Amino acid sequence: MMEYLLILPIFIPLIAGLLAVVEINHKNYIREAISLLAVAANLIVTYALFDKKYAFSIPWAGFGMDISLRIYHFSAFILLASAAVAALIALYSIMFMNGREKNNYFYLYFMLTLSFTNGAVLAENLILMLFFWEGLLAVLLGFIAIGGKGSFKTALKAFVIIGVSDLCLMFGIALTYSLCGTLNMSEVTLPMTFMGGVAFISLMLGAISKAGSMPFHSWIPDAANDAPLPFMALIPAALEKFLGIYFLSRICLDMYKIEHGSPLSITVMTIGAITILAAVMMALIQKDYKKLLSYHAISQVGYMVLGIGTAVPVGIVGGIFHMLNHVLYKSCLFLTGGSVERQAGTTDLSKLGGLGKKMPVTFGCFLVAALSISGVPPFNGFFSKELVYDGALESGTVFYIAAVCGSFLTAASFLKLGHAAFLGKEQPVFSKLKEAPLLMLIPMLTLAGLCILFGVYNPLPLHTLIQPILGARLEGHDFAGLPTNLFLVIATVAVLALAVINHIWGYRRTGSAIKAVDHIHYAPLLHGLYDRAERKFFDPYDVGLKLVNILALSAWRIDRAIDYFYTKIVVGFTQAASGSIKACHTGSHATYIVWTVVGLSCMIYYVAFR
Amino acid sequence: MQNELLVVVIVFLPIFGAFFLPLIGSANEKMRNIFALLMVVTAFLASLMLLPEVMRGTVISVSFPFIPALGLFHADLLAVFMAIVSSMVGSIIILYSFEYISHYENRNEYYFMVVLFLGAMMGLVFSRNLLFLYLFWEITAIVCWRLIGFFREKKYVLMADKAFIVTVFGALMMLIGFLMIYEQAGSFDLGTIKENMKGTPISNVAVFFILFGIFSKSATLPLHTWLPDAGVAPSPVTALLHAAVLVKIGVYVFARLFVATLVLDDIWHTLVPFIAAVSALITAGAAFIETDIKRIIAYSTISQLGFILLGLSVNTELGIAGGLLYILMHGIAKGGLFLCAGIVEQKTKVKDITQLGGLITTMPITAISFLFCAFSVMGIPPFGGFFSKYMVVAGAVQGGHPIIALVFLIGAIMTILYLFRLFNLVFLGELRLDRSEGSSVMTVSVFLLAILSLAGGIFVSYPAEVARTAVVQALELVK
Repeated sequence: MMEYLLILPIFIPLIAGLLAVVEINHKNYIREAISLLAVAANLIVTYALFDKKYAFSIPWAGFGMDISLRIYHFSAFILLASAAVAALIALYSIMFMNGREKNNYFYLYFMLTLSFTNGAVLAENLILMLFFWEGLLAVLLGFIAIGGKGSFKTALKAFVIIGVSDLCLMFGIALTYSLCGTLNMSEVTLPMTFMGGVAFISLMLGAISKAGSMPFHSWIPDAANDAPLPFMALIPAALEKFLGIYFLSRICLDMYKIEHGSPLSITVMTIGAITILAAVMMALIQKDYKKLLSYHAISQVGYMVLGIGTAVPVGIVGGIFHMLNHVLYKSCLFLTGGSVERQAGTTDLSKLGGLGKKMPVTFGCFLVAALSISGVPPFNGFFSKELVYDGALESGTVFYIAAVCGSFLTAASFLKLGHAAFLGKEQPVFSKLKEAPLLMLIPMLTLAGLCILFGVYNPLPLHTLIQPILGARLEGHDFAGLPTNLFLVIATVAVLALAVINHIWGYRRTGSAIKAVDHIHYAPLLHGLYDRAERKFFDPYDVGLKLVNILALSAWRIDRAIDYFYTKIVVGFTQAASGSIKACHTGSHATYIVWTVVGLSCMIYYVAFR
Repeated sequence: MQNELLVVVIVFLPIFGAFFLPLIGSANEKMRNIFALLMVVTAFLASLMLLPEVMRGTVISVSFPFIPALGLFHADLLAVFMAIVSSMVGSIIILYSFEYISHYENRNEYYFMVVLFLGAMMGLVFSRNLLFLYLFWEITAIVCWRLIGFFREKKYVLMADKAFIVTVFGALMMLIGFLMIYEQAGSFDLGTIKENMKGTPISNVAVFFILFGIFSKSATLPLHTWLPDAGVAPSPVTALLHAAVLVKIGVYVFARLFVATLVLDDIWHTLVPFIAAVSALITAGAAFIETDIKRIIAYSTISQLGFILLGLSVNTELGIAGGLLYILMHGIAKGGLFLCAGIVEQKTKVKDITQLGGLITTMPITAISFLFCAFSVMGIPPFGGFFSKYMVVAGAVQGGHPIIALVFLIGAIMTILYLFRLFNLVFLGELRLDRSEGSSVMTVSVFLLAILSLAGGIFVSYPAEVARTAVVQALELVK
């Protein structure tokens, strides 16, 4: 019976969400209490389930579709981590969302997201997983749409982009079923044939797009502007990364034996490398706190995809470790963005400045998280990035160089962000600015603390959470402790130093922190590219919509042509035919006799000579 | 005996009852409405009562009185499933009509036609004989003609003529096909045909002719253009005939003949999915361009019918079961969409979506119901359409048509786009025409369909089990 406890992480948030939405009393904080209770209960349950191995299966819709849930160390880890992050963000949201319109829907969508994510992680059957996975789509639509005026457009964009990738996933699952005859993830072994490869790619596209990788990324920066901030910290920064990378690892580790150096491995790594570079290039030139962070949320996925795509243990461990680290520092960063937004009323970098003195705790958390994401030792991001570098170098110098360039630009953009927002001259409007309330600081401090802990004492996450996932594939390696490859460490430190020099030089040149990277923005070749990118030339969504419009218009023309055939040609032909027959009926007996004779002779001819 | 009686009641209560409705109506309108609803609900309940029996694999046969050799009806799971779907959606649509049609003239004729149609539909579903099938088929065509031209404007009557001519042309072609089956199998009786033909594929020429009938009734390219034009009918009629029930006749006959009775030559298992794919894609594109609210939904229907046809024609159990499930989910959701469109149209007197906007603020229930039904049509979980869409696509992949499955996925993307375009323009943005919510009966009906769409996904195991068993039974008997 114990295995039926697995439904708790799905149903606790679900019920809480439904309760929160019907609770309409604004004043008593009942709604907030319900959601806090739910995330706390969820955390406790997932913690209690952490080292358990339960599974159950009940028949559902036939044809391999069962309601089967399974918990083992990997899913338990993802479950626990997302429960923890969700709890922190729920705590944060109480103050942040307080007094906003559509507050009840916020908690509904929050809880539904958590419930569906838990379901997708626990699902053992691929269709059950897709059920929850794609179910997030409708929730996502609502979640972004409550952001305010104009946010529905972004919500729709997110819906369409993710919808397309979910259909890829559906196709992949359909192929998997026809190739393997089962939908149970732990039983699926895709054959190493062409169709097996196609199935792998379809599943992989679904997974990486959930994580926010290119080319399914372009809704995230838009959502940063429109959606409520806890959404960003919860979904693109945390839960979607967990889900996407979890499933990507499952595909690469369990379902398809992707080989080091194979074309598929190279494909995945290329997607990773392009994502790192292109997104961080865009992040560099952003002038809004949240938007800059959102591009990093895309870029960092590149490291995870690259790491897992290498198909060597060090890369995979690095990729998964990076996922965990990313969730910690990126959620923390978004939350600092939220407290800046709440206290200062804006996230526009050109209006911010000198907040560090007024909001020291927020600044401290930002600093820790920024150092982590830039990969500065001894914070957690450093260790996972070193592992990814190691894997990338083993697979090809190109990938390593791309990853390191990404690091340089990441560091440069965070120097710019931190400098522009927290240091520099204090703006006179902010003279009465206060630190964010304690309830918002606790989650930030917790996340920042974890960033330090997982860096300084990295055996904790690596030994208990990540390395067991690989099991035998680990081949006896242990990646905890200090990086073994000294060359990589020196290179990393050198690159970081370069980023600092670059920033100082840029700042001296222009006298402004925001313009510190202008020499890259307006560099001869890049200038044109940036220009086009800002006009959404490269946004797959806009390009896709244009294509769809052309396709639809030509389809409509074909349809009209068919209709023309019926309404004009058939009718015209019939009228012409009946008209000419009518013309024959002149009323003259002589003509009729001729007709009769001709007809009669035809009949005689037919009967006599056929 | 009791079950045989039930089948007879399901078919003949609405058919003969319909003739009394105008009489009752001239005395008391309310009574007429209630009687009309009761007849269809009775048919629905009676079909439900047949379900446990046929789930066990029994086939209930009804013969002509005094001529036991001449089979009249037979009820297997496939037929009962179809009857349940049609009468369930039909009941809700009649409920909706109570309010909707009270604003217009000729109400007696309306109820007469609608109930007669549902009776004919039931007769067609249970027919054991190809000639009876043809007979009921043509009754539905005549009723359809009258109902499209219900508002009697010259332009509307022309549209009705177009629908009639196209579908009757198809039906006559189909009749030729039936005659060829008679040539080959020596009978019009479906049971006898099955016995005589065991395993031998039916002649391709016969299939070709019959497909004309199926494509014209189920509005598949290139015989589809009457369907968008038929949107001039009253909205509940459009919902009943052109979304939920009538257009499913074609695909039902496809399942009845080419899945449950005869064996097709292999070429059709590639050709029909191909035609379905082209039809689904072209009309999805047209739905993206059109600006008339009902034409968009009608094009969407054609596009979705392609999915159903794909599922039924790929020759895998998964696909066929998916196709049947699709008939159910699409009937509920698309019926809901048309009824929502009806509320909008009746309240605003506008059909052009570019002149609408912002109605979510004044018609929240309609808007939410529309969105729910749209989610189901798009195939978003936890709504019912998700499962049917997956099963159809997976069936196609399993049947060896991954490329065609991909084309259908493009169609699915288009579905998301055109439905959201519609939703956006009608319900979001600036409020153009400030109109209140529809009357309670109408909103309750659409809300019911929306909830059914959701329930269809959450409790999918029941309909899926029925669809799966129906396919297993049907195929078992043929092979």
